[in-house]
Amino acid sequence: MIAYAANLATLVAIFGILAATLNFVVGFAGIFSVAHAVFFGLGAYAGAQVALLLVPDALLACLVAAIVAGGLSLCLALPALRVRGEYFVAASLGLQMMATTLFSEAKPLTGGIGGLVAIPRPTVAGIEVNVLPLALVALALILFLTARLQRGAFGRSLQSIRDAESAAEALGKNVAAVKTLAVAFACAGAGIGGALFALHLSFVNVESFTMDQSVLVMAMVIIGGTGTLWGPLLGAILLLSLPAGLAFLPFIPPTEVGAVQQIIYGLAMTLLMIFRPAGLVGDLSKGRATA
Amino acid sequence: MNEVLLRSENLARAFGGLQAVAGVSLSLYAGQVTALVGPNGAGKTTTFNLITGNLRADSGTAQIRGRPIMGLKPWQVARLGVARSFQDLRLFTHMTVRENVFAATETASWFWQPGGSRARLRRQERAEAALEATGLAALADARAVDLAYAERKFLSMARILAAEADIWLLDEPASGLDLASRLRFGELLKNAQARGVAICLIEHNLDVVVELSNRIAFLDQGRVLAEGDPGTILKDPALAAIYFGDRPQEAA
Repeated sequence: MIAYAANLATLVAIFGILAATLNFVVGFAGIFSVAHAVFFGLGAYAGAQVALLLVPDALLACLVAAIVAGGLSLCLALPALRVRGEYFVAASLGLQMMATTLFSEAKPLTGGIGGLVAIPRPTVAGIEVNVLPLALVALALILFLTARLQRGAFGRSLQSIRDAESAAEALGKNVAAVKTLAVAFACAGAGIGGALFALHLSFVNVESFTMDQSVLVMAMVIIGGTGTLWGPLLGAILLLSLPAGLAFLPFIPPTEVGAVQQIIYGLAMTLLMIFRPAGLVGDLSKGRATA
Repeated sequence: MNEVLLRSENLARAFGGLQAVAGVSLSLYAGQVTALVGPNGAGKTTTFNLITGNLRADSGTAQIRGRPIMGLKPWQVARLGVARSFQDLRLFTHMTVRENVFAATETASWFWQPGGSRARLRRQERAEAALEATGLAALADARAVDLAYAERKFLSMARILAAEADIWLLDEPASGLDLASRLRFGELLKNAQARGVAICLIEHNLDVVVELSNRIAFLDQGRVLAEGDPGTILKDPALAAIYFGDRPQEAA
């Protein structure tokens, strides 16, 4: 039971990192990306390869994962950032589909469909450690950085771009540079989450980095509250605890848990959009039509 | 005559078959208010968009203090000292009034602004001074979306003030303002003029034009038909006929 709870807590921390970093681009910058799982995957593969080929040092794996995911986000996101609004959603959708195929086919790097297996247990300074404390520290660090950036000049630049891009540009803000930095920061964070995920499971394959995963993380952000600090974490806790909670209900047959879960997700999202459009933690007045 | 801060020569831009701007030459002088006047569709806002880099000109040039600005992006033009307002205001609606104005002082694209705490203090002072000057200090913590119409107009002016630009392009800044607000707006413009700001405003209310401007450029069908002091331009019966839609029929 303790192992089960520790596993759930580790996954909540990792998905909390993913949701917090996605929230940074969606909630503060207004960039609706449905490709966050791509950068989660890049970090996971990079971290796994560091552990498999070099040393299973968790900090090194996280660093390399952040550089790979953050760096590749620059190459991949720059052309996509030239388009706005719903066009960016379509561009990120294309990126997600392309990346899923590449993850499946690039066997030397990703292990293909079979994935990368037997990833060694992580260490810090040569001592074997659990991923849970590392994931909690990473989550705390990312929440701290997000809060600092959000409350500072960079956060104001992002929010001004979200609210009125042309006005922000007319005040001297280099919109493309600000957006690119925000995406790189968020994707580097997602990469760290990926490395921790790979080290936690000792196995990664493309199944964890598909469109479904991107949508799940987006749902965490929306349900918790876009543009809030704690909302995405609350969303991660709720959406990861729900299947675990349902499994304990005796009147739901184990084979039907998946279907019931989907119905509850759908219902929760619909009710939320009607009664709390800004999410559980979000400001109630936001998202409502104003006169 | 005062120093020319911004000069455009023969700016032209067509949209498909429509020649929106057909060779606009315009000079903006330090400490002077130039009103762009003309009927709807004359090319006034398009001229602003060509100068600020929001639209690419098909031909023509523009310089700020002799430095060519054609081909620059809007944020690059802004950093050369050009601030503009929009007809639809484009406020940062979900930010507070203070954040709206403070954001106008922060142009660096990096995770932090240069200059440390001293520069930050200076930016804060600029923002607070802009809030005071526009009468918005008491509303500093309100969200922009919750402001009344006139307050929104003044917030867009506060952003421009805080940006410390010396060339202002204002697109219908006084439209919809009551008399008291218009007088306050006039004070803002006069103070800016005294500091040597070159102001260009698009305005349909001719009372406002007479009240605030030193010069008028009359645009029609993408061309500057006449330029001069308000008294002369507004008394021209041919221009009045065009402005009020009583255009003389061209010979077949």
